[in-house]
Amino acid sequence: MKKFVGLFLVLVVLVIIPAVDSVFAAGDEPGEYLDRRVIIWNLFFRMMTVAFVVGAVVSGTMIWQCWRFRESHPNAKPTPYEGTDW
Amino acid sequence: MSGHSNWPEWIYIAVVIALMCWVGAEAWNAERLVEHVPADAEVIKVIAQQWFWTFEYEDGTKTIGDLYVESGKAYKFEITSKDVIHSFNIHDYVVLMDAVPGRVNTVWFAPTDVRTHDIQCREYCGLIHYNMRGTLHVEEPSS
Repeated sequence: MKKFVGLFLVLVVLVIIPAVDSVFAAGDEPGEYLDRRVIIWNLFFRMMTVAFVVGAVVSGTMIWQCWRFRESHPNAKPTPYEGTDW
Repeated sequence: MSGHSNWPEWIYIAVVIALMCWVGAEAWNAERLVEHVPADAEVIKVIAQQWFWTFEYEDGTKTIGDLYVESGKAYKFEITSKDVIHSFNIHDYVVLMDAVPGRVNTVWFAPTDVRTHDIQCREYCGLIHYNMRGTLHVEEPSS
């Protein structure tokens, strides 16, 4: 239980307080306006980076699995079903 | 099963959940920033109808097709439609909001570049939808 309380305290300090702070502070200075182009395009490029990295990792893992667990791999171990005539 | 470990699966699940949380938080934050209308934003009513735009300023004047704003000021658009659904789009400023009959949608922006920009309808609204265009004139600040 103490661990969870500790974890929650850390989260409060690191995440929740800064988030609430920025929610109430956003764009309240007169004459200083956010550039929506910057926010929207930055979000787009960050999301594209995440998407391509995830795509590379997932497809790379699948390619590696096909390569590593092929029958002809030097370290391949026959399964109990190998040679069974279904 | 002996010699089998579930740890890679749990790590995979944790990474996926962490990524989804991060992506969601980033998107939520961007939306929050974009939707936070500055208190001193000037309101411009945008009325869409087949197939032109009418702009009504705070002093009551109206223009058709041409929207005049000043650089460095914030503007809040109150967008509605008189007939069918349209979509108000200033491509250069990533402003895009549907104009729906009987409903007022809002979006705000603060122009910076002193020049003209294209305004267009981004929702198919009938025969002359392709030519439902306007021009945004960003002028030097008056004061």
